[in-house]
Amino acid sequence: MARYDVFINSLADLPEGKEVQLAIRDLSPGIHKYCYQDVLAMVSPDPEKYDEKMQVRYGRGQAHPQLFSIKIQENVERIPERWR
Amino acid sequence: MYKDNREFIKALEAAGELVTIDQEVDWDMEAGAIVRKVCEDKAPSPLMNKIKDYPGHRYLGAPLANYRKLAIAMGMDPESSIPEIAGEYLERTNREPVKPVIVEKDQAPCKENIITGDDVDLFTLPAPMVHEGDGGRYLATWHFVVTKDPDKQEVNWGMYRQMVYNSKIMTGPLFPFSGGGQVFHGKYVPRGEAMPFATVIGPDPLGAIAGSAPTAIPEPEYTGQLLGKPVELVKCETVDLEVPANAEIIIEGYILPDVSIEEGPFGEYTGYRTSPRDTRTVYQVTAITHRNDPITTISNMGVPTDEGQLLRSFTLGLEMDRMLRNQGIPITGVYMLPESTHHLVVVGVKPLYTNIAAQIAQTVFGSSLGMWFHMVVVVDDKTDIYNFNEVLHALSTRCHPVNGIHVWQGVGTPLYPFLSAAERKKSVGPKVLFDCTFPLDWDPLSEVPRLVSFKTVYPQEIQDKVLANWEKYGFTK
Repeated sequence: MARYDVFINSLADLPEGKEVQLAIRDLSPGIHKYCYQDVLAMVSPDPEKYDEKMQVRYGRGQAHPQLFSIKIQENVERIPERWR
Repeated sequence: MYKDNREFIKALEAAGELVTIDQEVDWDMEAGAIVRKVCEDKAPSPLMNKIKDYPGHRYLGAPLANYRKLAIAMGMDPESSIPEIAGEYLERTNREPVKPVIVEKDQAPCKENIITGDDVDLFTLPAPMVHEGDGGRYLATWHFVVTKDPDKQEVNWGMYRQMVYNSKIMTGPLFPFSGGGQVFHGKYVPRGEAMPFATVIGPDPLGAIAGSAPTAIPEPEYTGQLLGKPVELVKCETVDLEVPANAEIIIEGYILPDVSIEEGPFGEYTGYRTSPRDTRTVYQVTAITHRNDPITTISNMGVPTDEGQLLRSFTLGLEMDRMLRNQGIPITGVYMLPESTHHLVVVGVKPLYTNIAAQIAQTVFGSSLGMWFHMVVVVDDKTDIYNFNEVLHALSTRCHPVNGIHVWQGVGTPLYPFLSAAERKKSVGPKVLFDCTFPLDWDPLSEVPRLVSFKTVYPQEIQDKVLANWEKYGFTK
């Protein structure tokens, strides 16, 4: 089971070995399931490389057949400061 | 008429259009799947009384997804025909607009629970995961969003989908050609100001119809026309807007002018997930108010027929009817097929002059209604526009493939599934007219083909005799 999922346009959006900014969804059970987090993270197509598994989905919701793995480096705030 | 969603639910039940589900239903796709099957089967609306993780909350699914429910919402006999419902709707909405009244907070059930500030958490509301593969949980599928023009103070109620992004943010498309979108993109964005909004979930059924209707009349007054009395509004807690006092749930906040965040994909009214995930409008939430034991309304967009398809078809068709008659065009009626996901409209006309079909198509495509549909079928005044078999027969036999089909480029919704990505980006909308009238210069006696049907080729006395003896012959009536 994946802990997170992410929507992408193509697999090129998930370069291995480079830090990438992503909007990921938390799939943990409970009322906050599907809550988004904006993060800087390392990702890999190897599901065992990082601690957390991640499901990849394309732009119209179709799931990629293999799980990825993800390591979150830090959270990102996307709302401009004057609106926070 | 019903003051709120709860009185409407009782009326649905009395008419056999409600199924009450007391066993626990999961908000994570199960509720969505129930509503989807209800739409496809044209089944009664499900009232779900126990939602996993959300004690005290309830769902009402597919509240208006067939014409029987629409008749009930209008306070009419559920067996009313489509032309009867349409006639009643036009009669009411041709009356003077009815201004709303403001009631005090203590008379507004939607204020029974008030959550503001740090306590606001959208995940305390049971937003369903409507379809597998959706970009998120959609709280707003059968609702309307209240906004106000900052200069004219004109209020708009519009139905724009909203996805829960995190505890205080929703995202969704707010197209520049929609009522609320025009004000946001035309006034607030250039000024760099945030636009107040209030999302109304579980409104009374006529308020919801007004929110989905393409009318120039402010929707609170339009609702009053449909109701026959003023709609009761109450002031919001954190924004300068008013909302229906008897609604189930209100979400208040501001639409931010200078940031966009991912939304979608979502199963849409065309029956596809067409528009890919993209960055869209950001709704920052400042307050939630709701009734006790609130009922979240769910519409499940997909293949026909859901309430978006049915009501949008119904109201678009009738606004076109009003517009064409005001132009003096001798139409007999307008019917937009819900099964076409409001993409195909049939117009009946007395063909008094050449190119009258082109005049009709150019008028409706050129109006503010035109971006929501792309196929106009014009039939003569002898064809029953509500009879699918007659319309299909006319289309198949009277429309000349070279002379009767006319194509234009126009403005259209990017949700059309047949558009290329480049067309979608520019909201390009190809349009087509199918002229199913015979040329007027054909001699009616010697050149126009004779329609061969029971009603048209037999003398009246023969028809009468056959009908009078029908059961004697051994047929059932």
